Amino acid sequence: MAGLTWVSHLPWVPHFSPLLREAGFPSQFPLLHALSQSTANSPGFRFTDITSSAGIQFQHDSGAFGGKLLPETLGSGCAFLDYDRDGWQDILLINGMDWPGHKQRHSTLRLYHNNRNGTFTDVTARAGLDIEMYGMGVAVGDYDNDGFPDIFITCVGQNRLFHNTGKGTFVDVTNPSGLGKRLGFSTSALWFDYDRDGLLDLFVCNYVKWSPEHDVFCSLDGKHKSYCTPEAYRGETCWLFHNRGNGTFEDVTASSGIFDSSSKSLGVAMLDDDQSGWPDLLVANDTQPNKLYRNQRNGTFKDVAVEAGIAFSSEGKARAGMGIDIADFTNSGHAGVAITNFDNEMTGLYEFGGKSYEDVASQSGVGLASKNSLGFGCVFLDANLDGWLDLAVANGHIDETVRNIRGNVGYAQPPQLFLNNGKASFRDVASEIGGGFDQPKVGRGLAYGDFDRDGDLDLLLTTNNGPAYLYRNDQLSANRSIRFRLIGTKSNRDAIGATVRIVSNGLHQSRMVKSGSSYLSQSELSVTFGLGKGDHVDSAVITWPSGKIEEFKNLAAGRSYECVEGKGISPQDGY
Amino acid sequence: MLGSVPRSPASERSPTLGLFLGMVITLAAVVAYSAYITRQIGGLRRLQSELIDRNRKDSLQLLRIQNDLNLLAVAMRDMVENDEPYPLTAWSAQFQRIRTDLDDAMRLEAGLAPITRTLEQSASLTSSLNQFWSASDRVFALAAQGKQKEAREEIRLSLQARHAALSTTVARLLVQNSENEQQAAQRVVEIYNHVQRQVYLFLAATIVAIVLAGFSMIRWNRRLFAHISELSERRSELAQKLIATQESTLRYISRELHDEFGQILTAIGSMLGRAGAHAPEGSSLRTDINEVRQIAQDTLDRIRSLSQALHPVMLDEAGLEATLNWYIPIVERQTGIAISYEKQGESFAIDTNAGVQIYRALQEALNNVARHSGAQHAWVRIRYLPQTFELEVEDHGKGFSGRPPKNGIGLVAMRERAELMGGHISFSVPAASGTLLRLIVPREKVESRGTDSNR
Repeated sequence: MAGLTWVSHLPWVPHFSPLLREAGFPSQFPLLHALSQSTANSPGFRFTDITSSAGIQFQHDSGAFGGKLLPETLGSGCAFLDYDRDGWQDILLINGMDWPGHKQRHSTLRLYHNNRNGTFTDVTARAGLDIEMYGMGVAVGDYDNDGFPDIFITCVGQNRLFHNTGKGTFVDVTNPSGLGKRLGFSTSALWFDYDRDGLLDLFVCNYVKWSPEHDVFCSLDGKHKSYCTPEAYRGETCWLFHNRGNGTFEDVTASSGIFDSSSKSLGVAMLDDDQSGWPDLLVANDTQPNKLYRNQRNGTFKDVAVEAGIAFSSEGKARAGMGIDIADFTNSGHAGVAITNFDNEMTGLYEFGGKSYEDVASQSGVGLASKNSLGFGCVFLDANLDGWLDLAVANGHIDETVRNIRGNVGYAQPPQLFLNNGKASFRDVASEIGGGFDQPKVGRGLAYGDFDRDGDLDLLLTTNNGPAYLYRNDQLSANRSIRFRLIGTKSNRDAIGATVRIVSNGLHQSRMVKSGSSYLSQSELSVTFGLGKGDHVDSAVITWPSGKIEEFKNLAAGRSYECVEGKGISPQDGY
Repeated sequence: MLGSVPRSPASERSPTLGLFLGMVITLAAVVAYSAYITRQIGGLRRLQSELIDRNRKDSLQLLRIQNDLNLLAVAMRDMVENDEPYPLTAWSAQFQRIRTDLDDAMRLEAGLAPITRTLEQSASLTSSLNQFWSASDRVFALAAQGKQKEAREEIRLSLQARHAALSTTVARLLVQNSENEQQAAQRVVEIYNHVQRQVYLFLAATIVAIVLAGFSMIRWNRRLFAHISELSERRSELAQKLIATQESTLRYISRELHDEFGQILTAIGSMLGRAGAHAPEGSSLRTDINEVRQIAQDTLDRIRSLSQALHPVMLDEAGLEATLNWYIPIVERQTGIAISYEKQGESFAIDTNAGVQIYRALQEALNNVARHSGAQHAWVRIRYLPQTFELEVEDHGKGFSGRPPKNGIGLVAMRERAELMGGHISFSVPAASGTLLRLIVPREKVESRGTDSNR
């Protein structure tokens, strides 16, 4: 139908028809009909690689010099954030650096300001972020509720917290905030308000106990050093920092029950697993059981991953969990989970079955399609705005020589975009959406955001020791969307943890405002609902982290809404 | 002559009994072998499910226990090394998680423990684990009281030692399971080898039995065929001799009648003629003599007819075709059946012996038409063809009423005569009804080769 609509809107078709008829073609335009048939099965959107034209010239520096140090192969993340609060999503690309003793260049993260015309300006230095560090991941959140998003960057070594001054600059507050003097190998992180005090707390994943001095010699051929798998190193606990509200943080890792020295965590996502209104956490561990930390509502957590059926694969094996995202991709009201894993392990796609999660990757079509991929970043997004969340995955191996060992697995691997048909089935359309999206890459970080404010979600993808890619999403199907930007008052200002549920055309959808997810990355905080051809939303119910519930009816599609907790909703001019 | 006759099959042992016995033995062997294989497979299955699978599942649980113990070992090392900025109580949740998993694994393992597990071993495992957890509880109790140093000391002195004891116990059980598995694997190999040997044996026995039975059958069949062939030859020889003897006898009697009695009667007739001439004209003597002379003439005619009937001298003197030209009108007269006689092809001289056989066959056929068909019309055709000589006798009478002709003496004799000439005879039903007899004889068998130009 989408294709037919598109063809019928071609201006030359009516004038062309007599010619076709004269030429002996039947009146129904068989060629155009065939074209429309093919487009009827098309994904309904296209990607355009606008990295260069947008002015993003980024090269990730893994620091690799031949020493094959473990962090070199893990890549760095990225984020969409509106750091200057101008309503346009800016871009943050995390970077590594050359190792001490092997310094050849000055590498820093990059902050790109959105020029609102499809281009970006590198404002890293101007923003005061021109600082070298071996950056890994990023979590964006307004921890002091001043209205401007702050940036937490995980590193190999000392993590960094940058406070947004609100004047386009950032200040490193790592030490004053109490987050200093802690060396680690941190990966993903997220902001969330686990005690619902209106202040964002910080959860940080750590991978393994590693330092350049203690790097282990691993080899695939017995002669040359290669990157080790995490079995070679001891695990490291994740960290939970409680926001005291005075700009400082308290380490509550042990007292909250988060402490687990066996974890080798790479990805973390938040959810409300037991629908209690208290945020829970799901941590993807590499070669260790995943952890589902259920919020006990008293400042502590309990790991229930085994009972929930999400700790291991369906064969009872701890897989190499990398990236993770959690969203209501079944439109059932209860979120499901995607966890990317090592090649030959398949991406885990978990549906909530009432009491526990069930891995439906194989039957959904995601399993086999991901069998020969090593997935990292993954995000649920409604790429074609049909009302069903699709799944984008960044793939890429950790070992450059993998093809010598496994002929069908490469170092660079095509990213995937699994379209959800709404019937529990996914189809990879990466090769159909253009923009070179399906070209093999050593993908790592992945985030989405509507940087051009056209109502659909664009993708930002980072690669290891390579460039970043910005893909603009262009809808071909005339599907509409509605977006919500939530501002907490009693709740944390970013409204992280808020849930928005809408009903449109009989379809119930829900989204959570969330930090973290994917791998080392963070997507925009606004939530986007695809509505198909629907022109309005019957009702939108917002459950704030504070517990407040607000309902709004008959919202027109095709625009963004700003909702301030307890102060109503205001439509924006367009998206 | 009798001494050269082979033994009749009845005088030899019939193969049926032997074959039946062989079949019974083969069936019994198959049943016995099936039972044996079924028993072996059953044994294998029991071994698989009761021992190997159970052992493997038990080993998996022991490995799970060992993995948990390794996690505890790593955690204890971290606790002792004190390189985390957290109090020892931080590890309690981690310990609790492992304990939950360990308890579950222990429960499952207890249900899967192999039968070789002694009560002492089970008790030792449980006791080691209990001692470990009680030491662990003491460590965390000390840690909760803020006695970090004492707690670490307790880990080093007590907890790690008990952990080592527990690990050793689990390792021993794993080794024992491994040995059990090796033994089971050995048994499986033995069973397979035994079965393999039996299979080869059975196969060899089957092949031998099949070969013996095959050879026996072939031998018996050859004997049977040879015997049948010999019987057939003997029968044919006998029949030919009979026919030859009959023809010879008939020819002899015919000639004797014709020559001896004919001459005698002719002489008597002549003498009576002369005697009658001497008797006075009109005397009763002359009348009597003439009557006797007439009786002698009638007897002479009858003897000549009989002689012709027994063996037409004409066959020897004038050939087959002339004999048929003479004989067929006689049959017409005698039987009242109208006979259409037809000749086709370029005629050739027929050998006298063959001519007799063909003549006899025609005689028998027309006799059958007269006696059985009830037909008033018959057709006789002879064909001189380049390769064969054919005789057809057709009538549209009752025929065989859908049944093939019974092998009466006449028909048998006809077949024998045909075979004597190297030909064959067939019976069919012509278009409407009745009988069509067709005698086909190769030309070279019937054509006269000598100076005999009689036809």
